[in-house]
Amino acid sequence: MLKFAISRIIAAIPTLFIVSVSVFFLIRLIPGDPASLMLGDLADAASLADLRSRLGLDQSIPVQFTIWLGNILSGDFGRSITSQQEVLPLILGRLRVSAEIVLIAVLLASVIAVPAGMIAAWRQNSLTDVALVSIATVLLSIPAFWMGLLLLLLFVLKLGWLPLVGYVSISQDFMQGLLYIILPVATLLLHEIGVIMRMARASTLEVMQLDYITHARAKGLSEAAVMWRHAFKNAFGPTWTLIGIVLGNLLGGIAVIETVFAIPGLGRLLVEAIFARDYPVIQGCLLMIATIYVLVNLVVDLLYPVFDPKVNAQ
Amino acid sequence: MKRIVLSAMMLGLLSPQAMAQTITASIAQDVRSTNPGVNRDDTTDGVVLHMVEGLVGYREDGSVGPLLAQSVDMSADGLTYTFKLRTGITFHNGETFSAENVLWNWTRYMDPATEWRCLAEFDGRNGLKVESVTAPDAQTIVMTINQPSAVFLDALARTDCGMAGILHYASVNEDGTWNQPIGTGPYKFGTWKRGEYFELEAFSDYVTPAGSAPDGYVGAKKPLAEKVRFYVISDPETIKAGLLSGTVDLAAVASTDVPEFAANPDFNVADSVDASKHTLSLQVADPLLSKVEMRQAIAAALDLPTLVTQVTNGSGRPNNSAIFPQSMYYSDVQKQAFAHDLDKARELLAKAGYKGEPITIIANKRPTTPSFETAVVAQAMLQAAGINATIEVMEWGTQLSRYFSGNYQMMAFSYSSRFDPALSFEQFSGPKDTTSGKVWNNPEALKLIDEGKAVSDPARRQAIFDELHTLLLHDVPMIIYSNGVNDIVSNKRLEGAVSWQSKLRLWEVAKQ
Repeated sequence: MLKFAISRIIAAIPTLFIVSVSVFFLIRLIPGDPASLMLGDLADAASLADLRSRLGLDQSIPVQFTIWLGNILSGDFGRSITSQQEVLPLILGRLRVSAEIVLIAVLLASVIAVPAGMIAAWRQNSLTDVALVSIATVLLSIPAFWMGLLLLLLFVLKLGWLPLVGYVSISQDFMQGLLYIILPVATLLLHEIGVIMRMARASTLEVMQLDYITHARAKGLSEAAVMWRHAFKNAFGPTWTLIGIVLGNLLGGIAVIETVFAIPGLGRLLVEAIFARDYPVIQGCLLMIATIYVLVNLVVDLLYPVFDPKVNAQ
Repeated sequence: MKRIVLSAMMLGLLSPQAMAQTITASIAQDVRSTNPGVNRDDTTDGVVLHMVEGLVGYREDGSVGPLLAQSVDMSADGLTYTFKLRTGITFHNGETFSAENVLWNWTRYMDPATEWRCLAEFDGRNGLKVESVTAPDAQTIVMTINQPSAVFLDALARTDCGMAGILHYASVNEDGTWNQPIGTGPYKFGTWKRGEYFELEAFSDYVTPAGSAPDGYVGAKKPLAEKVRFYVISDPETIKAGLLSGTVDLAAVASTDVPEFAANPDFNVADSVDASKHTLSLQVADPLLSKVEMRQAIAAALDLPTLVTQVTNGSGRPNNSAIFPQSMYYSDVQKQAFAHDLDKARELLAKAGYKGEPITIIANKRPTTPSFETAVVAQAMLQAAGINATIEVMEWGTQLSRYFSGNYQMMAFSYSSRFDPALSFEQFSGPKDTTSGKVWNNPEALKLIDEGKAVSDPARRQAIFDELHTLLLHDVPMIIYSNGVNDIVSNKRLEGAVSWQSKLRLWEVAKQ
C-alpha cells in the first residue's frame, strides 16, 4: 500500500510540472496585460512602464518562467499583483473556506444519495424508484446558482431565518459558522445528491443482475444481507470514483456559489484573478487545484480495495 | 439589583439603536489596499478617502477647494503655491497635524519605493515638476513648480492619486513598508476581512471643514454613524436581496432594478451623473475611418438621445461633450450635439466613397458599463443608414489591450472620470505614433489641450474648451454620448445618502 502511494505521488510530479508549464504559458497567451488592467484608462506611458517593471513583466517570458519555477520549488508562490498578498497563504486561506463547504456538502450528499440510489435500484420500476429518479433528475437539472438564489429568496428574504452574506468558520464558532454555511452547503448538497444518486442506482442495478446476487438470494439470505454484503460493496466502486471526481471538481470550482453567497473561497479568487490577469494567483490556484485532483484521486484509489475486494493496491 | 443592571446592559447592547449605528453598504469588489494612491482602483479610492484627506479636494463642480489647507494662494507667475494649513486637526492616533507631516508625506510620495501611481505627474516625466516643497512655519507649506500649470491642484486632488493624502508617520512600519492608514478623515480604519467586508469606525475628534453640506470631497464631512461596513458583494441579485432583507443599507444597483426599488416605499433611489464618459471611439488611423466624412456619417446615423435612453433604461442624459454637466466649464457651446440626420449620413457616405465595407464595433459585457448594449443599438442605427456594422464581443482585459494597441475600428468604450476639462480631453488625445491608444491626434486640438493645461484664467480656458468641443464635433474621432449614471438605492432609515462620482460617500449620512 505504501509503495503504491509513493509511486503514485512520484507519478504525479510530471503531471504537476506539465500543468504548471501549461498554465504559465497559456495564461500569457490571453490578450490583456495586468499593468494596463490595474491602471485602466488612466494609464500613461511612464506609469505603465513603471508598473510593468515593478511586476517583472518587462522581462522575457522564459526568464519570468525560470524565476517563477525556481520560487515555486522553494515554496515561494509570489505575491498577488492586485492585492500584494503572498499567494500561498492567500490560496490556503481561501481553500479552507471552500473545503469546509464542499466537504460537508459532499459528505452529506453521499450519505443521502448512495442509500437512496440503492433503494431505487432495489425497488426498480416501483413508485419509490420513479419518485427517487424524478427527484434526482430535477435536482440535477437545476443550475446550482439558480438553486442558490431560490434558497436565498426563501430563507433570507421570505423567512428571514438566515444571514445573507458573511462567513465564519465552524472551527471558530460552530453555531455562527453553521448559520453562514447552511445555504451554500444546501445548494451544493441538493445538486450533488442528484448526480451521486443516479450513479449509485445505475451501478447497483448492474450488480443486481449478476449471478452471485441470484446465488445469494437462492442461499436464503435476507434482502438486507444481500444488499449490504453483496450488492453494496460491489456497486459502490464506481460511485466512490464519482464522489472523488465531484470532490475534486467542487474544491476548485464553486465560484458561482461563492459569488451568490459572497463567500471568500478559492473559486471566486480564481475567477477574480483571471479577470485581473493576476498571473501569480492564477498560477497558484490552478497548481493547487491540480494538486487537489491528484491527491483526491490518490485517496480514492487507496481506499478502493476497502470497498471492492477484487481490487488491491499492489 | 445586579441582575437588573446586567439585563439593562444586555438590552442596551442589543437594542435597535445600537445596531442601527452601523451603516452597511455594498461594494462590487474588495478593496485592493489601504495605501492611498498606490495599489488602488475606484472602489478602493471610495473607501480609503473616508480615512485619508489631502491638502485640497474636488468640489462637486469639479473645481478644487482647500481641505486640510485653509487657503491656497498662487503667485503671479503661477510657479509658487502657498498652502495655509487648518489648525486644530488631529490624526486618528491623536497626534497633531502640521506642516512637518506634509513634508514627510511629500518625501514619501516622491520616493519611487513608495510606488505612488501619480509620481510621473510631479517628477517632470509628464511635463510638470515640483521643484521644491518647504515649510516656513508649522502652518504653511510652499510648493514651487517648473512651469505654470492649471492642473497642478487637480493632480493633487485626484482621487486616483489618493488625494496625495496626508498620513501620520505611524502609517508605515519602521522599514518603510505599509502598515495601515492613520489619516485625518471622518472615519478611521476598523476591521478588514479580505473578501468579506471592510469596516470603518467614526473618528470622534474629527474637525469638519467649513460648509453646511458635503461638496464633493470638501464641505461638511461629519461622521454621523458609529461604524460603516462595506460588504463585498459582486452578484447583482445578491445585492438586491441584501437591500430587500435589510442586510445592506445602500448600494449601487443595475439600472434595470431601479423601477422596482422606486416603486417600493421602503427605499429611496438617487441617480447621480458622474464625470465618466461613455463613448463610441473611432480609429482615425483605420483606412476606412480615416476619412472625416465617414466618421461624420456615423455620427449623423446615430440617434444619440434614443441610444442613451435605451442603454441606460432612461436614467442617462445625452451629452456629447468631454466636459461633465456639473462642471463650471459646461457652457452653451458644450451643449451643442451631433445631429441625427439619415439623409445627411447617406450623403456623407457617398462622399466618403463607402461601398458597404464591414465596420466592427468591439464591446464587452461588464455589468458596470453599457458597452454591449451600446454596440447593439448603434449597430441597428448604423445599419438603418446603410453602414455594414458588426459586433465583436470580448472580455474587458482583451478589449483594453486592443484599445491600447489601437487595433480596432470602433469600440464601445467608457472612460473614467476626469474633472478638469484639459485632463478630460487629454485622456483620449495624443500623437498616435507615440501613444497608439490615443483616439484624437489632430495637432490643432493637441495644441489647444496643452494651452488649456497651462492657462489658469477661467475665461481663456472656457474659450479653449469651447473651441475644442467644436473641433471634436467636426472631427468625430469619438462619439461621446453620455456620462456615467449611478443608481443608488438606500433604505429609508438612512438620511443624506448620495453617491458622488460613482463613489459611496458616507459622511454626513445618518441612520435612524
